[in-house]
Amino acid sequence: MSIVDLIAAAGLTGRGGAAFSTATKVSAAQEHRARLVVNACDGELGAAKDGWVVEHHLAALVEGARLVTPPGRAVTYAAHRGSAAARRLASHGLPVLEVPARYVSSEESSLVSLLHGGLARPMTKRTPFVLGGADSAGRRVPPTLVLNAETVWRVAQVAARGPQWFRASGTAEEPGPRLVTVAGRVARPGVQETQAGVPVAELLRAAGGLAPDVGSVLVGGLGGVFLTAAEAHAATWSTAALRPLGASVGPGVLDVVDPHTCPLLVVDRMLAYAAGESAGQCGPCMFGLPAVAADWHELATRPSRGVHDRLRGRLGLLPGRGACHFPDGVARFAASALRVHQDHLGDHVAGRCDLVRSGERALVG
Amino acid sequence: MPSSAEPVRSQPSGRPHLDVDRVRCSGHGICAQLLPGQVRLDEWGYPIVVDAHVDPSAGARAVRLCPALALRVGP
Amino acid sequence: MNEWLWYLSRATGISSILLMTAVVGLGAVTAARRRPTGQRATIVMALHRWLSLGMLLFLGTHIFTAVVETYVSIDWYAAVLPFSAAYDRVWVGFGTVAFDILVAVVATSLLRHRLRESTWRAVHLLAHLMWPVAIVHGVMMGTSAEPLLRGTTVACAVVGTGLLGWRLTATHADRERRTAVLAEEWS
Repeated sequence: MSIVDLIAAAGLTGRGGAAFSTATKVSAAQEHRARLVVNACDGELGAAKDGWVVEHHLAALVEGARLVTPPGRAVTYAAHRGSAAARRLASHGLPVLEVPARYVSSEESSLVSLLHGGLARPMTKRTPFVLGGADSAGRRVPPTLVLNAETVWRVAQVAARGPQWFRASGTAEEPGPRLVTVAGRVARPGVQETQAGVPVAELLRAAGGLAPDVGSVLVGGLGGVFLTAAEAHAATWSTAALRPLGASVGPGVLDVVDPHTCPLLVVDRMLAYAAGESAGQCGPCMFGLPAVAADWHELATRPSRGVHDRLRGRLGLLPGRGACHFPDGVARFAASALRVHQDHLGDHVAGRCDLVRSGERALVG
Repeated sequence: MPSSAEPVRSQPSGRPHLDVDRVRCSGHGICAQLLPGQVRLDEWGYPIVVDAHVDPSAGARAVRLCPALALRVGP
Repeated sequence: MNEWLWYLSRATGISSILLMTAVVGLGAVTAARRRPTGQRATIVMALHRWLSLGMLLFLGTHIFTAVVETYVSIDWYAAVLPFSAAYDRVWVGFGTVAFDILVAVVATSLLRHRLRESTWRAVHLLAHLMWPVAIVHGVMMGTSAEPLLRGTTVACAVVGTGLLGWRLTATHADRERRTAVLAEEWS
């Protein structure tokens, strides 16, 4: 069986967040003799699994890369400049693409652009870049396949142990073992190996459990959604089960929000960060994100029906109007923040915030 | 999940599909003028494609007149 | 007959300069850092394209009559080969250079969707060379006996220079934000 057949039989999908069929991508890469970029950036906030793969399974990662790349085609490992992953990859003599510390720079088309002499900013996707394409200025880029580091590691595992082994974990629609990072207010943050269908409560328990006063959990970072602690306790770790909550397993990050910090302040900081991370290429993002961040700040300090409605309206205009899905993710994130933190928003409307720690900047105006 | 402002590529209506290169688009707003009811502008002047299925000649005119060459009409 | 051709040549020449100034000016305000949007933008762009078509007709007549009339000696090849005319070699040559650039600009614009954006842009930017060269041709080819014609050309020079200055100096939000973000760390 060819590697494509093995991966297809296993049902391996991308572990970087988009969960696209890996067999389809590798097949196209072989047909177009694409070069490979292994994405070991851990681009999402709180993510650590890519670095974990580089740290603990480097040989298998390299083997997986060899298996999916046509002979004579280059393999490059993308990691953020100054990261432990970048250092480890370089110290093993592997070609490293140093990625600047920008949120959108680890996106698939950003890596393709950077690899071929451009900036680490997303490109408009006319056709998949595994087939080759061009940026908006017309500069051509050769066929390039980008795969998440965990995905490439799983390829090596499937080749070594077979598709049946892979399918023995997870669910029929989301088969195979998968990594998840549990971060934030837990006793034992870190990367765990799990599978689709596991209760989220089990993942949280393995990380030390949630303190009783924890109010919410962020699933999927800045591009993800908040769940209430109760929802998190009742949820199952699979995209099928998380869909009704507006969430997906995505890049596998569970961030337990600190119960002693005002959640509106947490979101305020993240939206301010998001506004500064626009690649400045598309109007709806480069103007829309700062506007949304300003609206949220006003909502937290001088709440009114007007600013609430204005924020909702602006969030509705972010998805699908940029070259990449960064604004889509931020819209999803902010809308879930409005839902989950309704009660606390009520406190702010009443002019008080019980969660102001001494020394912590309060958002109450 | 917030609903998208733009329609998902659903069943083909037989009319060609208008595509905006969001990196090239710099908000001249000519498309909204030429395709009223199908393209409107947000508060910063960038297009919101309400109905992407355009009349072929109106679509071709918008493609020609866009100074940023940001529009394409495909099958 | 010949005198009639001579007058027609000069009349279509001045019309061409007027139209070229308008076309270059309309292009300049569209590309300017503060520029029209919405309805105005549509009108400006449509005029830019239509007037360039009109200009080609007047310019074609101007070149045709200049070659055909027998009062001065300008051969066909002088229309495309700069500085090859027997009469007024230098100043006719300026006209030829402007016409050559115009042909390239129009050809690349008609083929815009098949060309790389940077190619189209580089040739289109040559319009900034084409227009002043055409103005010089117009001023130097005129005679002092017709102050109205020379005056019109000078007026075009003043207006066109103003519009090109506008293109270079005014700003708009899209350009400013792109420039600001581009200055950050992206590689």
